[in-house]
Order: sequence, then C-alpha cells, then structure tokens
Amino acid sequence: MGLNIVVLDPAHGGIDLGARGTEGIRESEVVLQFAAQVRHALEAQGFQVLQTREGNENPSFDDRSARANAQRGAVFISLHIASTGLAGTVRTYVMPESPVVRDPSGLIPWDQAQAPFQTLSHKLGDMVQAELARRFKGSPDTAQLAPIRQLRTTAAPAIAVEVSSVSVENRSELDRMMPGVADAIAKGVAAFRPSYVVPVMPGTPMTVQP
Amino acid sequence: MNAKWRLWLAGILLVAVIGAALYFPALRRQVYKAKTLTEKTAEQARRELLPPTPVTSSEPRVQAKMFWGSRSGDGTLVPVMIELPLSSDATLRAKEILNTLLAGPVDPEARTVPPDAALLGFYILPDGTAVADFSEALANSIPSGIQSEQLAVDSITRTLEANVPQVQRLKILIHGQEVDTLAGHLDLTQTFLVNGSASAAPSPRSRLSSLTAPVQKAIERVKGATKPR
Repeated sequence: MGLNIVVLDPAHGGIDLGARGTEGIRESEVVLQFAAQVRHALEAQGFQVLQTREGNENPSFDDRSARANAQRGAVFISLHIASTGLAGTVRTYVMPESPVVRDPSGLIPWDQAQAPFQTLSHKLGDMVQAELARRFKGSPDTAQLAPIRQLRTTAAPAIAVEVSSVSVENRSELDRMMPGVADAIAKGVAAFRPSYVVPVMPGTPMTVQP
Repeated sequence: MNAKWRLWLAGILLVAVIGAALYFPALRRQVYKAKTLTEKTAEQARRELLPPTPVTSSEPRVQAKMFWGSRSGDGTLVPVMIELPLSSDATLRAKEILNTLLAGPVDPEARTVPPDAALLGFYILPDGTAVADFSEALANSIPSGIQSEQLAVDSITRTLEANVPQVQRLKILIHGQEVDTLAGHLDLTQTFLVNGSASAAPSPRSRLSSLTAPVQKAIERVKGATKPR
C-alpha cells in the first residue's frame, strides 16, 4: 500500500486569526485560500486531499492531528504565513529527533505520535523544500528543524510550510507566490511517494525506501 | 404639540445624533488607549515587584556572547560580544545574562523577544535542567509564527549555552504555568537541550528532550510561587 492521501491543515481559524499584517492581512484567511490552490495541485498529481478545516473554524491541535491519524497512507501538511522573515521566501519545518517511546503494550503515546515518522518527515520536508528553493530565491535548500506542537501528535510523515510574510505591503505579493508554492508542494509530495511504503498490518514498523 | 415645536424637537434630536456620531470614534480611541495603558501598567507593576538581580561592581567584567537576530531579518541569529559584570554563581549569572538578552541589542530590529517581556524566576536543578519563568508578554507580544517563535527560543538557549555551561536543558514557563505553545506554534510542553549532548546537534538548536521528574517538581514549585492571574 502506498501514499495516496494528503491531509492539508490551514492553520488557525475562528477567533484565532494567526499572524496579522499592516494591510489587514489575516493568516487564517490567507491559508484557507492557499490550501485551495495546494489541493488543486495535489489532485492533479492523483492524490486524494482532506482538509482539517474547510471554513472559518478552529479545530484543536489534537482534532487536526486526528484527521491524519485516522488515515492509512497519508501525509500531513500544515500551512502557515509568517509574521517575519524575508518577503518572498518559504520554509519547510519538521520536528527535531526525539526518542520513540512505547508503552508496555507496544503502543505509542498520542503526544509522541510523530516520533516513529521523523525520518520520513525529514525526507518529505527536504523534497518539498528543494522544490520551493528552486522557485523562491533566498529560501533554504533543506527543511528546518522546529518543535512544532501541531506536528508532535501527528502519526504520519508531517511537515509545516511557512510563507514569509504577512508584513508585505500588498496582499497581491502573497497571492502571486501561491501557485508556485502549491506546485512545489505537489511536486515534492509526488517525489516522496515512492519512498513511503505503508505497512499492511497496523503496528508493523514503517519502512523507508532508499 | 404644534408643528413648530415638533420641528424644533426633530432639529435637537438630529444635532444630538450627529454629535454622538462624531464623538464615538474619539471615545473608542480613548477606551483603547486606556486599555493599553492599563496593560502596560500591570506589566510594569509586575516588573517592579521582581527582586533586582544583585549585580555588584566587585563582580569581574567578562566578555559575554549574546545571540540576537540578524539585521537582515532572514531569521538567523548573530553572536554579539559584550562586556558584562557576571556572577560566578550559575543561577545569578543566568539571570544576568537573560535580563541582558531581554533588554535587547542596540539595534531594535535585531530583537528576538518582545521589549516588555520580563524574567520572573530562574532555577537550576541538580541534574542541569534549568527552569526559566517569563512574564506573559513573552507569549502575548511575540509576532505569531514558527520562525519568530523559534528565533526567540533559540536566542535564549544559545545565549545560555554560550555563557552558563551548567545549564544542560531548559524548561520555559509563562507566568508560572506550563503552556502548550509559545504563541500557537512552538511546543513548550517539553524541555530544550542547551548544553552537553546538544553541542553536537545541527543548527537550529531547538531540540526537545522529555520532561524528567525533577523538572515536574520544579514546575510545581514555580506554580506555587507564582499564582496565575
């Protein structure tokens, strides 16, 4: 069984507006429109796409993770707009390494769900970031490490993509970036697809193809 | 009531409505200003209640390495050497270092933490885990985002790493409480590696380590000392 589902997570929503720019730009609104473009690009690559929110709701971190954790053969991509950073650049983040903890029954605690997927997440993050770096000058060549709360409870290869930034003088600057960001994410996930072999039986260790 | 009086009454009402419409935006600005002033005053009051870090002129002035943001705004940290009178006691030294970091660099653009953030408490446990308790301004005033939140935590951990070798790990509390995230992104439920094994870690340095029992006890101690508002 291979990778066939992508769970997109437009961050924030509801009363949580996320980053806010001087021109009235709200992260929670921009990422929703951003998600629509990423979804379109991923569907064109043959992926089934699910979203953690479709409108102006604000699901909890755990509810968002649960959307991916309930799937088999999914990857999770959280979408953000930064408050800071060089305008016109994009960064992909993955969780830093942490030991895999299992309880006596062999199950992995919910709050450490990302631990067994870190190698896969890093590989996915590097592939997506390589595509982004080609399109957006000044962006790093590889994925960055950051302990992101949303990723920690996600039991799937998981990355966060953050576009800089809400501080642009005009919203159109962000809008112009979106097709390139969406295309880069879709191509990065497509390149990652052969690497991810989902175990047939639950509990079987994940395998990473060279 | 005759037509003349009705006309007068309508005129007075119209003037009152126009007056209220003109006054309302000014009133709103005044309310907002008063609210901001109250918040600042509360933050200032908390700072004034803090015992000052005892820095005496007898303490030797040494070169301290501070990590502030790059002026280019590219999300990287730059080491800056400054001369400070630093205590030989690790806890006092860490407080002096962190207060200098919070006071900020000469160039405000290179700040990594909000100017109104304050250090409320700092402890080092025997196993090398430090607990730093910051005011709510650290979480409330920081620009929201993965990059900005990570830059703030990295500047704290790397500055401690460079100047206080006794600190191995760092647990960050906000006003005496363990919080889920700094400002919606960076995970503050676990500890950050500062020294020791972290010295071989790739940059950026925000690596997590699991909470240990002594850290949990220290958190309970800080929670007891700092009542939430």
